[in-house]
Amino acid sequence: MNIDLKELTQLAPIFRELFKGYHISRSNPELYSQLAGQQDQYRGLFKALGYELTCDSRGFYYFVPEQMGAQVNKTAQRLALFTFILVEHLADQGRDPLAVLDGGSLGRDELPALLEKYRDLFLQAEVTTQDELEEKVMRRLTQLGFASEDNGIYRFLAPMHRFLDVCLSVQQDRDLAATLHSSLPLPTPVLLDEEAEDEIISLAADESEEDALARAMAEERDAQEIDA
Amino acid sequence: MIDPKRVLRALAEHWTLLEPLCERFDAGTLSLVELRNQLAAQLPEGTPTDVTALLDQWIRLDILVPVAKSPNRFELNAQIHDFLAYLRREHRLGLCLEIEAYLRHLERLAGYIKDAFEVRDAADLARQLRLLDMRVRDVLKKLANDEQALVAVAERAKTSDRQIPLRQRYAEVLATWDEYVEPMIQLVAADGAFEQGVYRVEHVLLRLLSEQQRLGQLVDDDLLLRTHARILEMQTTAQLTLRRARELLLPLREEARRHNAVTRGAALALAAIRKKGLDAVPQASLPLFSRPQSTFLGTASQVEAYVYALARFEPKPAQFPKAHSSRKGEAPRAPRTAREMIERCEQALPLPDLMVWLLEQEPEGATDELLYWFSRLSRDGRFQRERLERRDYLTREHQVSLSSFALIKPAGTTAL
Repeated sequence: MNIDLKELTQLAPIFRELFKGYHISRSNPELYSQLAGQQDQYRGLFKALGYELTCDSRGFYYFVPEQMGAQVNKTAQRLALFTFILVEHLADQGRDPLAVLDGGSLGRDELPALLEKYRDLFLQAEVTTQDELEEKVMRRLTQLGFASEDNGIYRFLAPMHRFLDVCLSVQQDRDLAATLHSSLPLPTPVLLDEEAEDEIISLAADESEEDALARAMAEERDAQEIDA
Repeated sequence: MIDPKRVLRALAEHWTLLEPLCERFDAGTLSLVELRNQLAAQLPEGTPTDVTALLDQWIRLDILVPVAKSPNRFELNAQIHDFLAYLRREHRLGLCLEIEAYLRHLERLAGYIKDAFEVRDAADLARQLRLLDMRVRDVLKKLANDEQALVAVAERAKTSDRQIPLRQRYAEVLATWDEYVEPMIQLVAADGAFEQGVYRVEHVLLRLLSEQQRLGQLVDDDLLLRTHARILEMQTTAQLTLRRARELLLPLREEARRHNAVTRGAALALAAIRKKGLDAVPQASLPLFSRPQSTFLGTASQVEAYVYALARFEPKPAQFPKAHSSRKGEAPRAPRTAREMIERCEQALPLPDLMVWLLEQEPEGATDELLYWFSRLSRDGRFQRERLERRDYLTREHQVSLSSFALIKPAGTTAL
């Protein structure tokens, strides 16, 4: 396959966005039309570089991370949880969940009621305040290209289909339905602390940055000594 | 017998009054009082006597008929109602069973035609052929009506309020699919009653044509050919109507089914999470994506120290000052600690503009250092922040454009 780099006019911004985990959809018309027009070329080039570009027929593109580094992280779990909650909440209100999550919008002012109603579930995802909901969920959704935010209104974009697909696969998962109805006690899973995902150096509550840095260096030295 | 001209004249004369009534009658019957009120509203200058005269006329012409066992309630005569619905291009979806019944009748008529030809009864043969032709027209008329009704069903579903649940919104689509489209698919299938019936009738007609050539004509060949052509037209129309019904309703039905599956899936997942925690959702089904880029903002020296600590980084030999040598110039200032900066910031509250305050505090500070403190302090939980308009700030080396924050004490805390 011959790839003409001159035709890939948006290569740098497209790669930068995809590499960050961003989903490119029609909300980003310039990058989207370039990808849609030169789909095979981009896919071939990225494949040669070791990245798998997925082209979803529902109108979005993303990189599938390598299996090794792609353990389901807490962000994915949080976002999936948020989707489940939103679908149920909208259905309870007599609104159409698909109309909202497939191109519809949600006001920021609706978040407090959502948080209050599903406090127990959000707690499991370590989301307890509206700030945390906005920071850990809504901001992530926008950073990854699942939603866009404008003036306090979140508009859900085509990549949300990835989470709607989770709903469908859960619905088809007979094992899950079966275990749900069993009365065996099930262990509560211990959630991994993934704060390192947000900050390079994790800070204890009463620890200054300098202390944290010194601690990190000491830990690393220890680890190197053990290795040696 | 009622003179058709009088009925048509009355319909034409009173169309403006009848048209709004049609909508009311679509929904059910009307009592005499309701009818009088409705007409009085439309005829503000009419006296009660005028209204009575009008109603009398409609009843006499059989346009209005009393509802069985309720003499004070009225409805539009079914024939007139159908005629008006046709004129208003309003179509009610019929039953698939009606088409099937028509087809059975067509098959019976084909049997009578065969019998009449065998006994060489020309008059009966012509009569049966005419009946067959009229019955085929009935089927064609019904298919055309049903197609329009199906278009209306799809349009109603698409244009109804997006905020009501899809199940409710598409209830009519789902019912239409189950009660009309599904049986039609079976009826029009290759081995279904429609194809079989058409085949039998066609076979009789073609046999009749060849037999007439052999035994001599009983009826005009053209009549047979016309009827045959109409039968074929009916067959094609039925297939087209079915195809159109599928095109119109299948996507909506799939959407409704998918919607149900999504809602059920979400409820199932939430129930599992409530019972077993976040990991209850099968990990294989969760979307994988690269981590979003870190939003950490660090100064150059912090990043260097971090890399030093993390990787197999060859450190530069540390140049420690010798004990006996004396320092030249000013002693380097000790770096600010986070605790120190936060305390200073707390004491200075309220800050109308954090960036201005930082520039005042550290007029000689490097830009990356200032931006680091700006990020660190504005995100600290001890302060409540309000975003300001974007503007330019001048550091020692750069011009920085950013939307700064005003910092205040969070509500609920009291000044010390």
